[in-house]
Amino acid sequence: MSWITNGPLITVQVMSGLSVGMLLFLVSVGMSLIFGVTRIVNLAHGCFYMVGAYLMVTLVEILPDRAWTFWLALLLAPLGVAALGGLIEIGLLRLIYHRDPLMQLILTFGLILVIGTLVLLAWGPDNKSVSRPEALAGSVKIFGQPFPSYYVLVLVLAPIVAIGLWLVFYRTRWGMLVRAATVDREMLGALGVNVAALYTQVFMFGSWLAGFGGALAAPTVAVALGMDGDVLTTAFVVVVIGGLGSFAGSFIGALLVGLLQSFGILIFPAISIVLLFALMAIVLIVRPWGLLGRPEA
Amino acid sequence: MAHAISQGLVLQTKGLRKHFGGVQAVNGVDLAVPPGDLRAIIGPNGAGKTTLFNLISGDIAHDTGHIYFAGEEVSGVPPHRLYRRGMGRTFQITSIFKQLTALENVQTAFLSYHRRHFNLWTPGRRLYRDDALALLERVGLREQAAKPSTILAHGDKRRLELAIALASAPRLLLLDEPTAGMAPRERHEIMALVARIAGDTGLTVVFTEHDMDVVFAVARRITVLHQGAVLAEGAPAEVRANGDVQRVYLGSTH
Amino acid sequence: MRSAAWLVLVLVVLALAPLALPPFFLQLLTEIAIVGLFATAFNLLMGFGGMVSFGHAAYFALGAYTAALLVKRLGVPLLLALPAAPIVAAAGALLFGFFIVRLSHTYFAMLSLAFAQIVFTVIFKWKTLTGGDDGLLDVWPPTLLKSPAAYYYFTLAIVGVCIWALHAIVASPFGYALKAVRENPRRARYIGIDVRRHQLAAFVISGAFSGVAGGLFAFYNGSVFPDFAYFTKSFEPLVVALLGGVQSFFGPLAGAFGFKLLEWAISRQWPVYWPLFLGAVVVVVIVLLPSGFVGLVGGRLWRTRSAKA
Repeated sequence: MSWITNGPLITVQVMSGLSVGMLLFLVSVGMSLIFGVTRIVNLAHGCFYMVGAYLMVTLVEILPDRAWTFWLALLLAPLGVAALGGLIEIGLLRLIYHRDPLMQLILTFGLILVIGTLVLLAWGPDNKSVSRPEALAGSVKIFGQPFPSYYVLVLVLAPIVAIGLWLVFYRTRWGMLVRAATVDREMLGALGVNVAALYTQVFMFGSWLAGFGGALAAPTVAVALGMDGDVLTTAFVVVVIGGLGSFAGSFIGALLVGLLQSFGILIFPAISIVLLFALMAIVLIVRPWGLLGRPEA
Repeated sequence: MAHAISQGLVLQTKGLRKHFGGVQAVNGVDLAVPPGDLRAIIGPNGAGKTTLFNLISGDIAHDTGHIYFAGEEVSGVPPHRLYRRGMGRTFQITSIFKQLTALENVQTAFLSYHRRHFNLWTPGRRLYRDDALALLERVGLREQAAKPSTILAHGDKRRLELAIALASAPRLLLLDEPTAGMAPRERHEIMALVARIAGDTGLTVVFTEHDMDVVFAVARRITVLHQGAVLAEGAPAEVRANGDVQRVYLGSTH
Repeated sequence: MRSAAWLVLVLVVLALAPLALPPFFLQLLTEIAIVGLFATAFNLLMGFGGMVSFGHAAYFALGAYTAALLVKRLGVPLLLALPAAPIVAAAGALLFGFFIVRLSHTYFAMLSLAFAQIVFTVIFKWKTLTGGDDGLLDVWPPTLLKSPAAYYYFTLAIVGVCIWALHAIVASPFGYALKAVRENPRRARYIGIDVRRHQLAAFVISGAFSGVAGGLFAFYNGSVFPDFAYFTKSFEPLVVALLGGVQSFFGPLAGAFGFKLLEWAISRQWPVYWPLFLGAVVVVVIVLLPSGFVGLVGGRLWRTRSAKA
């Protein structure tokens, strides 16, 4: 454990943990948002992340090879995921909002299989990858330690998105409606708000976030079937720790999990999952509804 | 009443207080219930009756004061342990096992009381069957034993809940609005049943009630609550004649 | 006693099957029995306990890998390796269950899923122990049980014993209390039942029998792979139970027949489409199902024959 006194190494690990955490935040806050408003836990949320990554692969392939290709793809991929989300919300979820939560869970569970197979059919079983844009392909030196430049992008972009989210939720009328909906949906309907449209918008926004997370993460991971499972589990851990339905909870939870994973790798590669489990177990015992969650969830 | 624990009282509270937010729901209630008593707790809505029950049965914690059950202090003892010490309770909104038959409901109560609910191998349908049938007979539900309890009439569901509570042969039975939702005749029937059972077994009963006819017909002693405190207490005739009670609660209807 | 007559008939038909059916169908029946056991164990939790686990594959996989590892790495004979499967699976259920029975339905569902993924990831990554993605191969039963007919009888016997045990458990005082907890946890508490402890016990029992199914499958399949712990496997007992009816004890067994026949029919033509079909069917059924979960669980209660009062 000689790395403990190695300041630069620790700094780099922290930064890398934070970037991973940021990507996780994008996925988790989307899931949390959807739950907060619609009261549905979208078990297929990991699939949105996966589709975002796969769409990046395709977009980067089919768009002409220019300097702006990557950035355009990064813009378009999440929009594609949002469209998918909208389709699912309008075509399926609307039919089951009044149903037993267990039924809703089973339905979104079924969606995992459906979307997973569709991805397999569309892109095939082989792993794919997305290259980093040239400008960010290398690494920078942080206190002498190499740090991938792409992660700097994540570290810069994701907080911008987080701040943007905060602004949306706390400074726009739409955001206020969303926050009101998480507290009392019926009231909102009684006040003449088109709650059905709000639900669709929220779901699309949530899936956009997951898709953006996937698209942004694409150059850093193997784009493969099964990436939905990994991110889903980690996102669950995040919302359990942070509290389902809490924006700040997702943020803190995601950073904690990101850091834990990052340092876990230093200790023993496979141990991060055990550490995650341990952290989640502690939170569950002490505060079963998450650090910042509400008991009734 | 001195601070010494009075021997022989089944239930006693001293200076019981509970507040919720800014509201003092129970405000210094002293209660002394001797064995065999049929105690009615009456009072207008909001007087604190259900809160008092919840405090006594261990559902919620009191702020200050003492609760003694059969001579022992029971602050902080959770419901399932009070149950084993001999305190039974029914709820304002009927609480039974809907998808089980009436017989199964009562059998389950017996099984649990006799601590056999972790038994994995004996066929449950044989256990305590006769005891359960006898109890159902007692509350007038023998005919309905095989029916899923969800289809029972409201009054019969209440009787079933009574049977469940009686399975543990409790010393004290707390009945929270036992006649809620029943027609007047049925109310009298069920409370007469309760009185009969209590008389036969020496059971002590404390119940809340809104129907004054029932109260005066059945209760041995009445405690009147008003704004979380005891306004009056005594035999039915005394309470009826009490000026304060008449003013606050009975109004001009009696 | 009509149901006893039916039971005997079914048993006789099953016993005589190897005389009439080609090995392929014996294998299908073996798979049906294994899935039937898995789904029945799952339904102890869902139908009778009111708890829906979205990650039951974890216990199936723990059982399968335990049996496989003991036989392959330690040369333990099958008859000792197989009983170890439910023990390890039960330990896993105890560990995970301890945390998730304290939670509301939503968190219960999420975490049961997450724990299964954790098991999957551990199996996947711990290559030195589990062979990782390559799985463990050549996990065959001893020559005595190797033929389809022999393993068929073996499976039938084990599954039969397990089903009988599960039936006894459901009919026992434990089962009564479990149903009471499902119906009305508060009332259960007020008659002296420690709700969490009871649910945890049910979870462990369910996990143990799922582990037996996993162990049986390991030797049937001749190999074990990480995806025994994946989503798709967790989906199986859920769909089978829903298909056969969660409100009756034998429903999942019936569902297993239908499920496996469907899988055989679809997988041989279009193997890739099977998960799609599975997911789509569930989605469609949920959307079209008139009554909710209450309709499934509470519609027709499981009679314990005490009904003849």
